[in-house]
Amino acid sequence: MISHRDNNTQRIAALDERAEALKLKRGMGIADARAMHPSIDVVEADAEADRRLLEGLADWCDRYTPLVAIDGEDGLFLDVTGCTHLFGGERAMQDEILTRFFQQGFDVRAGLASTPGAAWAAARFHGDRIVAGGEEEALLSPLPLSALRIAPETRIRLESVGLRTAGAVMAAPRAPLARRFGATLLLRLDQALGRLDEAVSPRLPVAPLSVERHLAEPVVLTDDIERLVSRLAVALKSDLERRGEGARALALLLFRVDGAVSRIAVGTSRPLREPTLIRRLFHERLAALEQDIDAGFGFDLVRLSVLSVAAFDMLQGDLTGEVSDDDADIALFADRIRARLGEAAVLKPVVVESHLPERAVAIVPFAEAPQRRMPPNRPGRSAPPMTIYPPERPVRLFRSPEPIEVPATEMPEGPPMNFRWRRALYRVARAEGPERIAAEWWRKLPGEEEAPTRDYYRIEDSEGRRYWLYRQGLYGASQTSPRWFMHGVFA
Amino acid sequence: MAMSAVARDTVFALRRQIAKIEGTLPERLEVPAPSAPVDVARSDITPEITIVRRGLAVASPDAFLRTGIEHLDTALGGGLPKAALSEIHGLETRDAGAVAGFALSLASLILREKQGLPILWVGTAEIFREAGFPYASGLHALFGIEPEQLLFSEAPKLLDALWIAEEAARMTAFAAVMLEIRGSPRLLDLTATRRLHARAQNAGRPVLLLRQAGEAEPTAAPVRLIVSAASAASRETVAGPLAGSIGRPAFTVDIGKSRTALPGQFTLEWNPDEHAFEERRRGEERRPQEERATNPVAVVSASARGADPAPASGAVLAFPAPGSPASGDQPSRQQHPAHRGPRRTG
Repeated sequence: MISHRDNNTQRIAALDERAEALKLKRGMGIADARAMHPSIDVVEADAEADRRLLEGLADWCDRYTPLVAIDGEDGLFLDVTGCTHLFGGERAMQDEILTRFFQQGFDVRAGLASTPGAAWAAARFHGDRIVAGGEEEALLSPLPLSALRIAPETRIRLESVGLRTAGAVMAAPRAPLARRFGATLLLRLDQALGRLDEAVSPRLPVAPLSVERHLAEPVVLTDDIERLVSRLAVALKSDLERRGEGARALALLLFRVDGAVSRIAVGTSRPLREPTLIRRLFHERLAALEQDIDAGFGFDLVRLSVLSVAAFDMLQGDLTGEVSDDDADIALFADRIRARLGEAAVLKPVVVESHLPERAVAIVPFAEAPQRRMPPNRPGRSAPPMTIYPPERPVRLFRSPEPIEVPATEMPEGPPMNFRWRRALYRVARAEGPERIAAEWWRKLPGEEEAPTRDYYRIEDSEGRRYWLYRQGLYGASQTSPRWFMHGVFA
Repeated sequence: MAMSAVARDTVFALRRQIAKIEGTLPERLEVPAPSAPVDVARSDITPEITIVRRGLAVASPDAFLRTGIEHLDTALGGGLPKAALSEIHGLETRDAGAVAGFALSLASLILREKQGLPILWVGTAEIFREAGFPYASGLHALFGIEPEQLLFSEAPKLLDALWIAEEAARMTAFAAVMLEIRGSPRLLDLTATRRLHARAQNAGRPVLLLRQAGEAEPTAAPVRLIVSAASAASRETVAGPLAGSIGRPAFTVDIGKSRTALPGQFTLEWNPDEHAFEERRRGEERRPQEERATNPVAVVSASARGADPAPASGAVLAFPAPGSPASGDQPSRQQHPAHRGPRRTG
């Protein structure tokens, strides 16, 4: 028995058959129920866990149709249009769903109809019914008003004027109904009867392409899954070829016998359709997820979906039949690393127009970096630089500048004589600078205080190591004394 | 360094014997030319002596990346092997700038031949946090490596970094792979480095193993260089060196291990305009005396197998033949347990 807190009293929210047999009812206070039957077992309701369970079930229902939506706290909508023939017709499909849920330990009601509203009513008020097209009115007429999916307040007001069944509302003139009870009532009615279209919005975006394989014998081993992936990828290849596209994101769905669904996604940095390459990507992903995927009693349905596609550029091979494309090799390499270690595992620097050193080079994941169109063709290294004296920049830059202690400087605005960085003392032998870099005022938000300018110095310490330090702010410009930071190291 | 020719002959005879037993081809290496600064202790090396190294097939000169510094190339036996794992050590993490700079200058030399190919720089999150992330604009200005030619890979764990490096080492689409790690982790043992080395050999691409603050340990890399920063020369102007300025990057390179097993210390300067190394020779004063007086900085250590040899990396252990230098050889299987600890130049 499940309790929930309602108006400061614990009330029964849900109960099983044995509790029902004890004449306990929903909405009854827990204290009353305990007084009647001291031995009852009460569990606090956990809406979050219920939600997770429902989402798990929705994932599992993906095996029947890609269009699965969650309805309220306890319902699922499955748009099975065009899917029923795969399972031997509507009746057979509904029977299978009910049987499978029953085997998993759920008490499920199902209804199948041409409109979501009618199916909802059929499921809630009949349990196991298939409504043929055109029979919606006959189905709904005898049902109470709650079958119309309307707000409780509207229902109470309708009942107070004597309209107690859906049939009575259908028979009543529409204009006064709309005026008194709002447009929602008629909208729901029209949707249930099929006069207006109602779209079920699926939880997950529908994949443009997907192939699946039902297995008579569940698979457990990773090797078998990989083999299945390459078979599915072969089937996918012809579809992609027909569309002239390649996959940019792929998902592998593994439906476990007992209802759990594992969803494994990989991304590619360039359109892909080669089965062997797809298999290699999933090989890395499966290796990385080895601990997280519990095969249990095995997977009985494996589906490979293409989540997003992009135009596939054909590449002409030379006469030897070899296509050597270094960029493709690197893209595949990056995809494999990414499949195993995540998005940020392969990074690429992108030069940004900015004079702030930390903004001048953005480090972006490989897949998001602009593709190199041509290898840089530099016949000679004598190409003139952009500026005559390009500013000296370090070879390594700290992600966040590290504060250093500067006890004394030679001149108030000069380089430090020594400094302490990471608890070690460095003696400055030579210094070059300053190079003054001001904050980018055009990026400043209104009301924000302007960041102090930085004076950068190239420093060589007594052991010959070269560093890039800066002083933030000026002496005497404000109350706080300037702070020093280590920003990079030179070669 | 002082040793008798007899002891050396004995070692070579023994090596030749071992090579004969093992059936590997003895390799003849060029003996360092006795022209340039060779001190008295070394003058006993005569051109008749052939340095024999077993295990490696006789390599063509094309297999080596010449640094452009004659003495360094000779001491390395022709240059840095192109299709191999090479270790570049920094003694402290704060040397990371110099180590990275030296490795990138080697990469820049490699890119001369492999124009347009990218370079992959693999590192653990730890080293990128401690030593700073590579900065593409600095690399472009100094080494002529375009930002599009750079790929970084940041691995959360060392195991992942090793995996990425291994996968990359077998590819020919990269001009070079750099793997940067910190310290002396147990994961990076003889087996792991041998795997990297084998893949680099198969792909014909160099793998540079950058180890910051690492001990010299037995690895499969045929070459180990210990790099530290050297103070830079002053900027050259029309009116002579500009006092107090910081010029081109300079490195002190010690040979920790090489095929010839010749120790050596070199001070190299990287020329960012020509993209070439230049050696700073002993006797060439970096700056006028008066500047040094005002700026008391330690004098750069003398170069080119001079009076001060490479500082020993690790502890000194007993070696059977007294007076002979510890060879750059891999220890034989029987010897191996004794060499598990840090060894001198080996």
